[in-house]
Amino acid sequence: MLLDVSHLEISYAQKGKEPKPTVHDVTFSLEKGEVLAIVGESGSGKTTVIRALLGCLPVGGQMTGGMASFDGQDLRTLPEKGWQKLRGRDISMIFQDSGSMMNPVQTIGHQYVEFLRTHEKMTKSEARAMAVEKLALMNLPSPEHIMDSYAFELSGGMRQRVGIAMAITFQPKLLLADEPTSALDVTTQAQIAGELTYVTRGLGTAMIIVTHNIGLAAALSDRILVMAGGRVVEYGASQEVMEHPQADYTKSLLASVPEIGGRRYVE
Amino acid sequence: MSNKAHATHDVILRVEDVTKKFPAPGGQELTACSHVSFNVRAGETVAIVGESGCGKTTLLKTLMNIHPPTEGRILFHGEDVTKLTGEERRENYRHIQMVFQDPTAAFDPKMRIRDIICEPLENFGEVRADEKEEKARALLRQVELPEDFTDRYPHNMSGGQRQRVAIARALALSPEVIACDEATSALDVSVQDRIIRLLVRLQEEKGIAYVFICHDLALVSLFAHRVVIMYLGHVMERIAGAELQQACHPYTQALLRSVFSTDMEKNQHISVLPGEIPSPLDIPVGCPFQTRCPVARDICHRESPGLREIAPGHFVACHEPQAPLA
Ligand SMILES: Nc1ncnc2c1ncn2[C@@H]1O[C@H](COP(=O)(O)OP(=O)(O)OP(=O)(O)O)[C@@H](O)[C@H]1O
Ligand SMILES: Nc1ncnc2c1ncn2[C@@H]1O[C@H](COP(=O)(O)OP(=O)(O)O)[C@@H](O)[C@H]1O
Ligand code: SF4
Ligand SMILES: [Mg+2]
Ligand SMILES: [Mg+2]
Repeated sequence: MLLDVSHLEISYAQKGKEPKPTVHDVTFSLEKGEVLAIVGESGSGKTTVIRALLGCLPVGGQMTGGMASFDGQDLRTLPEKGWQKLRGRDISMIFQDSGSMMNPVQTIGHQYVEFLRTHEKMTKSEARAMAVEKLALMNLPSPEHIMDSYAFELSGGMRQRVGIAMAITFQPKLLLADEPTSALDVTTQAQIAGELTYVTRGLGTAMIIVTHNIGLAAALSDRILVMAGGRVVEYGASQEVMEHPQADYTKSLLASVPEIGGRRYVE
Repeated sequence: MSNKAHATHDVILRVEDVTKKFPAPGGQELTACSHVSFNVRAGETVAIVGESGCGKTTLLKTLMNIHPPTEGRILFHGEDVTKLTGEERRENYRHIQMVFQDPTAAFDPKMRIRDIICEPLENFGEVRADEKEEKARALLRQVELPEDFTDRYPHNMSGGQRQRVAIARALALSPEVIACDEATSALDVSVQDRIIRLLVRLQEEKGIAYVFICHDLALVSLFAHRVVIMYLGHVMERIAGAELQQACHPYTQALLRSVFSTDMEKNQHISVLPGEIPSPLDIPVGCPFQTRCPVARDICHRESPGLREIAPGHFVACHEPQAPLA
């Protein structure tokens, strides 16, 4: 088993208040190469869970109960040194807008080369060659040209593909993706979904993807976990959850998905 | 009632032939919007759809008078708002509010939610200090957030919660027009459903018009009265929301073919539009979509297709309009 999470509880400290857990009793597991989609209520703790797995909860956030282990290592007791070895290497993450994580006044290439050299001993030209190779994997046209561009010169979809290329550079065992297509139009979303399929099915990387797009979740994942009110309300094989939802929350969520040709809100 | 019927007829906002260019490095010019025109009527929702970078946000910012257009006019009740200055310009914001694409960037991180929500009211002296808490709580309730969020800071909230704060803030002044830049993209579909119902109810009660940038074509087809489809700063098609499936521009059809569905069978047929969007620094001569269009002809590389009305209220900019998909 690659990732084993059981009865995980996560709390945010609040000034002058007893910490109340935000996330309760979350249990799931992930095999090597498996894809899990987390969907559910806004504010239910999806981002909180995956940030905990990357060891980067915001200040005040903490795993306060249960356990989480990755590749045999206990994440609750992992010292910062251990996290530094995992993060960006064995576990990496892509965000809603990878562009906002990039430095606007440095070229993509400069940042990519620097990122590679903090993780591995290599010369600048070795790093550059590796970066170009990874960008090409993401179907980015003229990767050499991308290396010399600034983030603002690229479209949202291109920036997201740069983000994925960087995240998979060291062939991580687990990729975490928090709403990676929410800011993208549908054609670009379909393109990114294609790249993520290549990463998971082609390269065998396990992935946890958080998304509000239930159709996308179903298309990409083996299993779906549904959260509401800080808890898991449903967890099962994707097709099963889509076709035979058990929890009332899941049923109402699926019923709310807008579909072309559905009932209009206005005349 | 007759009053309402009348109100929902009037054009309150006219976007007339708006072009916006930005200076780019090396003395170049970047064309973010090119000759965009459409009308917005009271009580109506106009959705704007298109690839990221196609100029949607730039257009809304022009409409909000945040920056002036390079060419063209924005008429609000017949008056060109791009010419307003000083007090008149300030007063105009009372009637047009915007929900920004990225609330994290739009909010002052040191302000509490109460103050963020009440800021527009305070700007126009519409709330006393001792009324703020109550007003903020009422607005939070409307967007289904816990009332005690008034004391929170934006970074202590989830993405979807921040997005709802932005909506609550735009509603505070009961404006005539609300411009929403991807205002529901971070919400789960069930909260989204209830927020859209809220917006529709307010629209019916008060005749609010929405200019709604949205990537979710299914939502657009259910919520918008009219849809404007943009590519590379140009309007490709304008069509009624209810008739989106009748779209005949090759780009609109490519969008429709990319929509993921809860029907896993349908997802097998998703097709990816090949190629990349050209740089707005270097828009091709002829049709902007020619480099990715599966049915481009010679003329498409020479002549820019103007918008033509092919059915009442249905405009297409294409030399080769296609038969509808459905
Ligand atoms: N830094 C923080 N301090 C205190 N509370 C927080 C903090 N970040 C998030 N929260 C709270 O924790 C809960 C879970 O937030 P989280 O961001 O994990 O939600 P989410 O499921 O990702 O929601 P969304 O779909 O809206 O992104 C929310 O109620 C939020 O208000
Ligand atoms: N302030 C600015 N200065 C220069 N270029 C800009 C500015 N704002 C937007 N652009 C450019 O204009 C184009 C349209 O951007 P935008 O309106 O944000 O698109 P959308 O909202 O459709 O994603 C993009 O190429 C973008 O890089
Ligand atoms: S004008 Fe030509 S290139 Fe443009 S969309 Fe129509 S057929 Fe395609
Ligand atoms: Mg989140
Ligand atoms: Mg935008």
